[in-house]
Amino acid sequence: MSYLLATIRREISRLCSRRIYFSTMIAIPIACSLFFLSLLDGGLPLKSPVAVVDLDHTSMSRQAVRSLQAMELVDISGKADSFHEAMAMVDRGEIYGFFYIPDGFQKDAIGGRAPTLAYYSNISYFIPGTLSFKGFKTLAVSTSGSIVKTELVSVGVGDNTADTILQPMAVQDHQIGNPWTNYSIYLSNSFLPGLIELMVMLVTAFSICCEIKDGTSVGWLRVAGGSIWTAVVGKLLPQAVIFSVVGVFIQSLMFGYLHFPLNGSLCAMVLAMVLMVIAAQWLAVLISSVFVNMRLSVSSVSLIGILAFSIAAFSYPVTSMYGAVGIFSYILPVRYYFLIYIDQALNGIPLYFSRCYYIALLLFPLLGGSMLWHLKKMCLKPVYVP
Amino acid sequence: MIEKTKSWFLGGARVFSREMSLVLKDVGVIIFFVGLPLLYPVVYTLIYNTEIVRDIPVAVVDDCRTARSRELVRMADATEAINVVAYAADMNEAKRLMSGKECYGILYIPEDYSRRIGRGEQAVTAFYSEMSLLLRYRAFVSALTDLQLQTGALIRQELLGSSSAGQSSSPVASESYFIGDPTQGFASFIIPGIVILILQQSMILGVTMLAGGAAERRRRNGGVDPLAVDAPQSAGMIGRMLCYLVIYIPLTIYTLHFIPVMFSLPHIGGAADYLLFIVPLLVASAFFGMTLQPFVKERESSMLVVVFSSLVFLFLSGLTWPRYAMPPLWKLVGDFVPATWGIQGFIGINSNGATLADVARPYSMLWLLAVIYFFAAYAVIAWQRRRDVAMRGL
Repeated sequence: MSYLLATIRREISRLCSRRIYFSTMIAIPIACSLFFLSLLDGGLPLKSPVAVVDLDHTSMSRQAVRSLQAMELVDISGKADSFHEAMAMVDRGEIYGFFYIPDGFQKDAIGGRAPTLAYYSNISYFIPGTLSFKGFKTLAVSTSGSIVKTELVSVGVGDNTADTILQPMAVQDHQIGNPWTNYSIYLSNSFLPGLIELMVMLVTAFSICCEIKDGTSVGWLRVAGGSIWTAVVGKLLPQAVIFSVVGVFIQSLMFGYLHFPLNGSLCAMVLAMVLMVIAAQWLAVLISSVFVNMRLSVSSVSLIGILAFSIAAFSYPVTSMYGAVGIFSYILPVRYYFLIYIDQALNGIPLYFSRCYYIALLLFPLLGGSMLWHLKKMCLKPVYVP
Repeated sequence: MIEKTKSWFLGGARVFSREMSLVLKDVGVIIFFVGLPLLYPVVYTLIYNTEIVRDIPVAVVDDCRTARSRELVRMADATEAINVVAYAADMNEAKRLMSGKECYGILYIPEDYSRRIGRGEQAVTAFYSEMSLLLRYRAFVSALTDLQLQTGALIRQELLGSSSAGQSSSPVASESYFIGDPTQGFASFIIPGIVILILQQSMILGVTMLAGGAAERRRRNGGVDPLAVDAPQSAGMIGRMLCYLVIYIPLTIYTLHFIPVMFSLPHIGGAADYLLFIVPLLVASAFFGMTLQPFVKERESSMLVVVFSSLVFLFLSGLTWPRYAMPPLWKLVGDFVPATWGIQGFIGINSNGATLADVARPYSMLWLLAVIYFFAAYAVIAWQRRRDVAMRGL
């Protein structure tokens, strides 16, 4: 026990001795959280810039343009007089889509010759492309609907019946947990823990390999009384405390200050954060014990930490990935944190359904401990390979 | 004067060859300069290469149990997004399925569904979507909209038959087109942007790692870098930049041309356009990396201070979160990141088929950034030199 305390004391003084620890453990995570939360503060990016090509210039086409302008999803920021002009604006990145009303639209619509409305969305930018598409589609359907309704009412069909004929079946769409389609709730809750995982792994690998690089690893083991377990646990404990406090602080920003949905218990989320920090540490310990070399270890954890943002399926579901790729999401602590967040914060379902994810997080220390013998061997004869 | 110019060029050339040999002998830097741009695009594309989320499991709660409601379920099942995996007896059972992640959506058909249609009233059904991934929700919404329109058309036909009102059900046709990528795939959207970010970040990582190595050497030798070559400072910086540029030429062609070709991603731009466009991005990234030098005091800490920034730069670039929706401060910060303009311009050329003239704004912004970061790096390196001289003096 006294060895452990001595190792902890040694580690705290090491952490205080270099500025890089302060910046990577506290400054970067907190600054990034403030960055993300303020960047995504709008929730849903409204007013996507679009253009209208109105070749008809009749009361009916102007009505359509006014309806489009009234939508919150799009903002008619450009005016084009031809298809090619609008396309050039898309190429220049000035607009994300345009709505095309052909010449003779009103005449053909009233005459029953079914003119065609066309709309173009630039899906090279996913969110603006999707949202402008949604706005355009609504407009196309409602334009067509209003003409039909006028016709039906004019031949003597009642107002309510006309509505039913227009839309005999409606699907009410319920968005569980995030009825505002708020992107910040969805992105911040996954990317910020991913960032913490990345920084935890980097700092763990860096601080262990530093001992080898600077040749202080022998002293490190001696303070720990020769036990590699004491040495590693003593080193990781102060870091785990700092990272957990930072992580819970970030959670408090999201769930407390910004009122992101927390439909389950707070304890479940705090526990998940602490366990994720520890799991990430031990994943990094495993990698550092295998490579020992500072550059290889730190670049491997960077690789894993950065790929985690994609493979842990924050945006693209694992079930849709190739099986051979998707399986890697389950070696990432943040994947389990994310699954716990979905269950406990977003959907607020019983803890029972998340049990396996907590257990998975608990398994990481065992995994990390399995290669410590190799780390010990290398610690006793430290060699620095650049 | 001529002598001075000559020595400037000679100094630059010496720095160029010195830097080239330093890079080639350094495995760590080679991994960043060559390994990263070679492997990352492939790995990323493999992750997203299935492109589209389809056949998402959905449970059905059918309280109506008529031919009509079963037909609705069949039509839902036939959409691209929805795969009906279970009939639940009631909402509680369906919720339990959702909690166990056996389905991600619930379609609820109320008991009066077909009765209302028969009476000529509007029938209402409900769809509950799990919101953990917005890509799933997006797929559901488009499937449900189509389902609603199709079912509506069928019912209308049945109710009105061939009467005049039935004929006029669709006086206006509409067509929708997706520009850039008609398949709306995820890899096709994200990879063209990611490769630009990879070029910038790998350059910064390599440059800062080299600088970290130089800083370690200077610390060990009392402020002198034994491997440094004597040259005017500006010549040294341009010599280094050209060295990186030469290394990046084959890699740029690989990431910008062969990656899209290999994975059949959108790639309709002219080669001359995007290759010319990317030059200032590489120049600006090299000088950007040199500007960050003082933050890196040893080789490996370059990763600790640079890696996380990829995420920040990704979001600043406007690829995932559009720039028009950003607070002005972050938009301004984004203006100073080469990748922001690089991604905008490259997507324009690569996915939308723009010419270099169409992307004149990002292109000139990149050159402007190259100039700004040249002077910033100049100031930073001059400051470091003065500090080293002071260190030697002590």
